[in-house]
Amino acid sequence: MSQETGQPTVTLTIDGMTITVPKDTLVIEAARQAGVMIPHFCYHPKLAPDANCRMCFVEIEKMPRLQTSCSTKVAEGMVVRTTSPTVQQARKSVLEFILANHPLDCPVCDQGGRCDLQDFSHEYTPPVSRFTELKRVFPKEYFSALIETQMNRCVQCLRCVRYCDQVMDVKALAPQGRGTLTEIKSFGHHELDCEFCGGCVQICPVGAITSRLSMYEFRPWMLKRAETICGYCGDGCEITLQTKENRLIEVNSTLGGGRNNADLCARGFFGYHASTHPDRLTTPLVRKDGHLVEVTWEEALETVAAQVGWVKDEYGPEAIGGLISARCTNEDLYLFQKFMRLVLGTNHLDSSVRYGYMNAIEAFRRVQGLHRWTVTFDDVVAADTLMLIGTNVTETNPITGLKIKEAVKQRGARLITLESLKPVRGTISNIATLATHHLELSPDQFGIGVLGLIKAVFEQGLVDSALEQEAPEYVGALRTKIEAITWDRLLAHSTLTPSMFHAAVRTFEQGARSIVVVGQGVLRSPGGYATMVNIHDVLLLLGRLDRPGCGIAALAEENNEQGAIEMGAVPDLLPGALPVSDPEARRAVAASWGQEPPRTPGLTMMEMIERAKTGHLKALFVVGENPLGSLPPSAGVAEALDRVELLVCQELFLTETAQRAHVVLPACSYAEKDGTCINTEGHTQAVRKAIEPLGESRPDWEIFSALSVLLDSPMEYETAKDLTKEIRNMIPASRVLGPAPLPPRPDREVLRRYILGGYRDDLDGRLTPPPVTKTTGTMTLSFAQSLFHSGKFSTKAKGLLKIQSAGVANLNPQDAERLGVRTGDRIEIRNEGGSAITPVRAWERVPEGVVVFPEHFDQDLRQVMSVTVDPRTGVPYCKLARVSVEKV
Amino acid sequence: MDPGSDGTTKLMASKYEKILLKNMEQPGYTGSLQDYEKAGGYQALRKVLGGIPPDEVIDIVKRSGLRGRGGAGFPTGVKWGFIPKDHPGPRFLCCNADESEPGTFKDRQLMERDPHQVLEGMIITCYAIRASLAYIYIRGEFRLAAKILERAIREARAAGYLGSRILGSELDVQIHVHAGAGAYICGEETALLESLEGKRGLPRFKPPFPATHGLYQKPTVVNNVETLANIPHIIMRGAEWYASIGSPPKSTGTRVFCLSGHVKRPGNYELPMGTTFRELIFEHGGGMRGEKPLKAFIPGGASAPFLTPDHLDVKMDFESVAMAGSMLGSGGVTVMEEGTSMVWAALRLMEFFYHESCGKCTPCREGSSWLVQILQRIWQGEGRMSDLDLLVDLCKNIEGRTVCAFGDAEVAPILSTLRYWRSEYEELIARAEASRSSKKELPVVA
Repeated sequence: MSQETGQPTVTLTIDGMTITVPKDTLVIEAARQAGVMIPHFCYHPKLAPDANCRMCFVEIEKMPRLQTSCSTKVAEGMVVRTTSPTVQQARKSVLEFILANHPLDCPVCDQGGRCDLQDFSHEYTPPVSRFTELKRVFPKEYFSALIETQMNRCVQCLRCVRYCDQVMDVKALAPQGRGTLTEIKSFGHHELDCEFCGGCVQICPVGAITSRLSMYEFRPWMLKRAETICGYCGDGCEITLQTKENRLIEVNSTLGGGRNNADLCARGFFGYHASTHPDRLTTPLVRKDGHLVEVTWEEALETVAAQVGWVKDEYGPEAIGGLISARCTNEDLYLFQKFMRLVLGTNHLDSSVRYGYMNAIEAFRRVQGLHRWTVTFDDVVAADTLMLIGTNVTETNPITGLKIKEAVKQRGARLITLESLKPVRGTISNIATLATHHLELSPDQFGIGVLGLIKAVFEQGLVDSALEQEAPEYVGALRTKIEAITWDRLLAHSTLTPSMFHAAVRTFEQGARSIVVVGQGVLRSPGGYATMVNIHDVLLLLGRLDRPGCGIAALAEENNEQGAIEMGAVPDLLPGALPVSDPEARRAVAASWGQEPPRTPGLTMMEMIERAKTGHLKALFVVGENPLGSLPPSAGVAEALDRVELLVCQELFLTETAQRAHVVLPACSYAEKDGTCINTEGHTQAVRKAIEPLGESRPDWEIFSALSVLLDSPMEYETAKDLTKEIRNMIPASRVLGPAPLPPRPDREVLRRYILGGYRDDLDGRLTPPPVTKTTGTMTLSFAQSLFHSGKFSTKAKGLLKIQSAGVANLNPQDAERLGVRTGDRIEIRNEGGSAITPVRAWERVPEGVVVFPEHFDQDLRQVMSVTVDPRTGVPYCKLARVSVEKV
Repeated sequence: MDPGSDGTTKLMASKYEKILLKNMEQPGYTGSLQDYEKAGGYQALRKVLGGIPPDEVIDIVKRSGLRGRGGAGFPTGVKWGFIPKDHPGPRFLCCNADESEPGTFKDRQLMERDPHQVLEGMIITCYAIRASLAYIYIRGEFRLAAKILERAIREARAAGYLGSRILGSELDVQIHVHAGAGAYICGEETALLESLEGKRGLPRFKPPFPATHGLYQKPTVVNNVETLANIPHIIMRGAEWYASIGSPPKSTGTRVFCLSGHVKRPGNYELPMGTTFRELIFEHGGGMRGEKPLKAFIPGGASAPFLTPDHLDVKMDFESVAMAGSMLGSGGVTVMEEGTSMVWAALRLMEFFYHESCGKCTPCREGSSWLVQILQRIWQGEGRMSDLDLLVDLCKNIEGRTVCAFGDAEVAPILSTLRYWRSEYEELIARAEASRSSKKELPVVA
């Protein structure tokens, strides 16, 4: 037994060294711990052993024949020899066999220089082969636009096939043929159609599967490496950006590194070219005679300083507002809000968390008294029961999706999904197929689904008895409200039955470690905040909110939404997510800034737009945000921008918003700057510069710093590190970089306040199902995230455009048949807002009555969106619309 | 009867009592349920259901000394005993009817001519291991046998020998016939299970063994057709009776030997274990087909090393054949007469193994293609003397280093022919080198 962990251990001898390892460890892993590297091809710690390459033979005393160390578990007193003459001879012979049919085309192989076969051959084989026969040659076949196969190099270790099945749950690859004619091909007679996670490229020990994006562009030793964080989604994957001569060449990830532990998605692996797209802005632009013309930084900055100074003098700080993207680093976000508050003197600042994540944060703050998850990815993997509500997790947060797949497929967790998905397998994985209970909902029904859960908790008598004692009124009020809602009313528009909800909550309740994962479907749909609070109620009622390993994980869409909250890049929160209204918090900030931040309440994004429309907001700073491109025409962003006297954009590209700016300042992307960001589970991680800034572009924080000097309130920092230091001093929670601190526990005091009265505020509103809006003949249009894109940024990545380059409306095949359309046909989508024509695809996973359109390509469809704003959180809801659909 | 080449049994008198082939050799026996019942069929099933507890059935089979007839010869009762007693979920029986070993054709006949004998064995086995679902994984080419089995299953179900509450007891057994798709490797028990699960037929590495992690990772017994056909007889006549036949204690009972090659009367012969090869070939098989004397024989299917005339008096039981350096294997005895080229014979078998290597593990996959190319070269007069040592070396690098027993099998023909008839290889190569030396040749660069 290990003294520290209480786990049973085994002591064995490897090459004369005595080592104690946990029971059930594989010999190859035990050897690694003893510092002995046993050569192997097919073994991979992420995969179940297959023992097919026979490279990892070792001699074990008292065992006949050589044993494969990748498939043999340690045993007490085992004596292992990894370098005996017999073992050496066996390795030699296995390599001789592998090399027999290998083309030895190392000079033209992208793996050359980091190839296991090359390294082991160098170490174990004689310089001359005894093989003089004809080598097997596979005819070259086209595989896919992004992934290249060269099957003559394949060692048939099946790592790629096993990874695609066991980790990704995609099963896109399959060995075909027999014996030496075994080839890895896509499953079925068509080119590869899969999630393009790049896992097969990364896990291939030789050059059989490589990336076409970087083909023949490098030799590995020419590459410079920067360990950084992917800029696409809230999962915050560690990636290694590899560069040559200031060009991005490829992306890798490291086993054991980051929160992703070497797994990536298509965006992370193939999306890196967005940063260096030729359309990047490289010089500052100033509008002169109605046109944006290139100017020097000095001129641009002086223009901004002069004009904003004039606005401030003329109209006061309340006439200035700012918006920033949560894709920026903590340093950018922090300095942005400091710039707005300290230099310009306003709290009118907001960030893209306002598009939905804010709903989760406000609910967390209200019920649990915190602004972070109480669970980590590790808790997700270790959970016994997981419930997904409106996540579309594979598409929005693919790596969180992998954690869920690992929990279900490898650790036997039970999964409940309230998703707008039909549980059918397709070319990309579908989390609903792994569910023990799948409740299929239309994308506008997640709120109703959560009400169903509350109802089922009461009907099944699963209310936590401690809670009932502590807060009988709370439980009673909920019970009364929910009993008044009939199942008929809740389930009027679905095929679900009450017993399905009963079964789901019973299963969920059986887990000791139960986690609810909430996604964009909830956070970005009308009533998102109310539903988020209701989800808290479900967990409170089941006694699962304040238990170790249990909690609510709300998924951030952008990579640093959590950072935006913690840096205070929202109107009512200061750094550390402390309320602006709290005098103590303001004083604490003043201790560092030398001056108190303004106390006047700030405006949210939508309020700023409204104030601009009425002419009250005169100057607007927009940093990496594109409200004109994100919100529908009916939101009136164009009118608002037309009225402001000064629009300053810090941007990578000339977006719709930037095209209307008075001054455009070229910012640099995540690949060109240092800093930190915080992923969705609250881990602070380092972003590191991989290439020099393109053209004259500069990090956003540098621009704020330069402006502050011109505005006579200098905030000067030498490097991003200086900023990081200031942030760490102000925000204790972000002091630790790397392995995150333990997740916070809910604040008992705040919890008590909630159940003893706080819940009442909006109880009537949130426990009322939304009115029935369904009119016959219409469908629900849902703007959803695609697996292959993230916002609009990724549509600049040439790799991702090879997988998906345009928007297609996805329909259930039955709906398509009813409309008389087939994949490739065109449909007209129409409502009172306008209409647009788009190609269509029949897709089995889309529920009936729903049209799913990728939000990244919504330009032409934006007019059918309408906006409603959440009364409590100011979140604009515009991802759903009721439309009629016709064949064109 | 005249010798036939279709592998059917020759109806000839034998000095030994037949067990498995007894029914089918009765004139007019059709293998129908009626005929089988008339010959005493399903009495064993009635007997166990009448009051022999499952564990006692396992014990009887253990004591009978019955060993697997598929090739490896593992004691059947012991294998059954490995099924965990307290396992909660389902457990399965798989009848391995993927008879693909070159020179072996006994299972096919047992299934085609007396299908109920196999079914009864399976039902009793299910009873013993407490399985209620059994599969017959049958070689894809055996269309007739599959059809006959399907019919027999329908008959048995209608008569209450299969289905739920068999013969009024608590026993439920369903049997399904599943046809393979033509891969030799699927006769390997774990590859068979993979294939049965609908996956690619590749062997799994062991442990865990099928007894604990078999079909769908549930406890599973995989038994050969002939093994299962023996069960009703052991039940009816007792373990001691069975154990007294053959060469006890280690090789008991009879075996159906498949005699083929250059003999007068090829066919299936059921003989007690321990009968000599000489008796099989010269007495039962009628001796060599012509004037030429016997040169070599394969004693147990293509995977067994070749033996020579010196081994004719070896007894056909597991231990004796192993002592002689080969194995009793599947019971397929292939006889070759003087004048047969052993290089050619090895090449012929190597081509088979090359074609059938599944490709899962390196030594077998790469080794088989390399070996077959060397043998082809030698046979075509392009050999080099150094090839012989290379062949042996490559075989040693395959033997014992593969996932399944295929690797050991594929090197057997080469190693054994090189052992006894190396001179044949040398002559071929010498001739080739002589003819090459007269031509100008570029040196071989490795």
